[in-house]
Amino acid sequence: MSTTGWHAPPALLRRYTAGDLDAVAAASLERHVSRCADCRGGIAPALDIPGLDARGLDAAWSVVRERVEAPRLPLVIRLAQRVGLREPTAILLSAAASLRAAWLSGAVVVLGFATIAATLGDQRIWPYLLVAPLIPVLGVAAAYGDADEPFEALAVTAPYGRTRLVLLRTLGVIVSTVPVAALLGFLLPGPSWVALAWLGPALTMIPVLLALASFIGPRTAGAVVALVWSGLVLAATRGAEQTWPVAATQQAVYAGLAAVALAVIAVRARLTHQIGAAL
Amino acid sequence: MNHVELTGVGKSYGGFRALAGVDLCLGPGVTGLLGPNGAGKTTLLRIVATSIAADSGEVRLLGRDLRGGHAELTDIRRRLGYLPQELGYPGDMSVFGFVEYVAVLKEWDDRRARHHEVRRVLELVGLADLATKRISRLSGGQRRRVGLAQSLLGSPRLLVLDEPTTGLDPAQRATLRRTLGVVAQDATVLLSTHQTEDVAALCERVVVLDGGTVRFDGSVVDMVATAAGRVWHSDHEVPDARVSWRTGTGRHRIVGGSPPPGAEAAEPTLEDAYLLMLGPDALASPA
Repeated sequence: MSTTGWHAPPALLRRYTAGDLDAVAAASLERHVSRCADCRGGIAPALDIPGLDARGLDAAWSVVRERVEAPRLPLVIRLAQRVGLREPTAILLSAAASLRAAWLSGAVVVLGFATIAATLGDQRIWPYLLVAPLIPVLGVAAAYGDADEPFEALAVTAPYGRTRLVLLRTLGVIVSTVPVAALLGFLLPGPSWVALAWLGPALTMIPVLLALASFIGPRTAGAVVALVWSGLVLAATRGAEQTWPVAATQQAVYAGLAAVALAVIAVRARLTHQIGAAL
Repeated sequence: MNHVELTGVGKSYGGFRALAGVDLCLGPGVTGLLGPNGAGKTTLLRIVATSIAADSGEVRLLGRDLRGGHAELTDIRRRLGYLPQELGYPGDMSVFGFVEYVAVLKEWDDRRARHHEVRRVLELVGLADLATKRISRLSGGQRRRVGLAQSLLGSPRLLVLDEPTTGLDPAQRATLRRTLGVVAQDATVLLSTHQTEDVAALCERVVVLDGGTVRFDGSVVDMVATAAGRVWHSDHEVPDARVSWRTGTGRHRIVGGSPPPGAEAAEPTLEDAYLLMLGPDALASPA
């Protein structure tokens, strides 16, 4: 649609397609043509290419416009699309900071260093046990904001729903971080069950984080959970077995904690049913 | 048909009563919400936008009861557009990317239809040329128009705008008025603004909130009429005036009180009526 009512004369369009306009005039005309269907229609005759009509040019223009305007999604999201992730879901996930290449590559580097530390010298696996459960937890904390934050306000009032959006991003973070951490875990020295035992606290801390975040926001909740877990792991290095935080008895406690957190979320959902923003 | 029906709506934050017993029925057209800071305007708009729940009273939107459950709520939200007072924009998102993100939240799943709709709303607010630009590089007024664009997605039947004119220059405000004028032919538009001239130019109806209650609810013409015979121009200040100020001509505009000797009656405006209703506090913070 043209906003000025002016249309480029055929002679001007011919000079443009022949490349005879100076840079400023060409840029100005391009700006007009990009918004004026009438003048775009005048480009095809000016090009004088056999078989190219206005419809074909319009189709080409649509493709160009799609490529230019539609934003490029993060690499991880594009890879996920190749294995079947739907485009609308990909767009929603792409807004989460912790699903972007920078965050994810940082997480892999930290996990890598923790794994290397464990394989060197005196078999210290506590850095891995400290980091591995926290990566997905902090990823979830970074994946969404408080319901009162300006950007998040739109999700609250949209039909998609904030709770659904938060859970979608949580799932996205788990899928993108847990397999990498688990694979690195198999490189650890010592008992092989440790490679997966950290999943217990990780999968407990995520619902705990979500439940806490519904009261104090995800950033503060992430800090609280990270501090508590760090304290537990570091305390175990002084006197107890390094694997104490992921031992079987502790796993039962984690399961109980997860159940409590899920119950809190369920109660919140009931209390906030009128706006549907439990998280 | 009334798209907004509020009956005895109340809302408190801790000990602070933001809204108390608000009754309001709105049909298609533009309604302006005026009131000083803390009057409850944003709280009212957030309740109508389904962003927060009322503590008491009944809220019916677009013929649906908010207490009706998830299906009713989702149905309302499919036909609702909302521009919050403050809208955060991730800095690395482009204009097109941001509006498309909101379009997906509004369940525009088909790529072709979604992109067409995003271009339509960007065209409506005059941002089609800036579609690929990063939001962090836009001016305040342009960002506000991005916010307005997302609220117009899907041609909502109920449009809730919290201070849509903030940061807009006069030409942009005129464009906004034209846009909302078209939208309001079929939809109910509820907006708050601190520009009484916007309300006068845009709205058929005005609601004045003060202390969480409705002080006035009627047509703009009726509200202006409440100031008839109570506004003067004078060479001197008047001590008992409700509000007065020195104008650019050097004369004083006297609103309320008793007419000073030699004063000339002046044509009242919506702002005069508003100031008369709420007094000097409103002049200090007319939002």
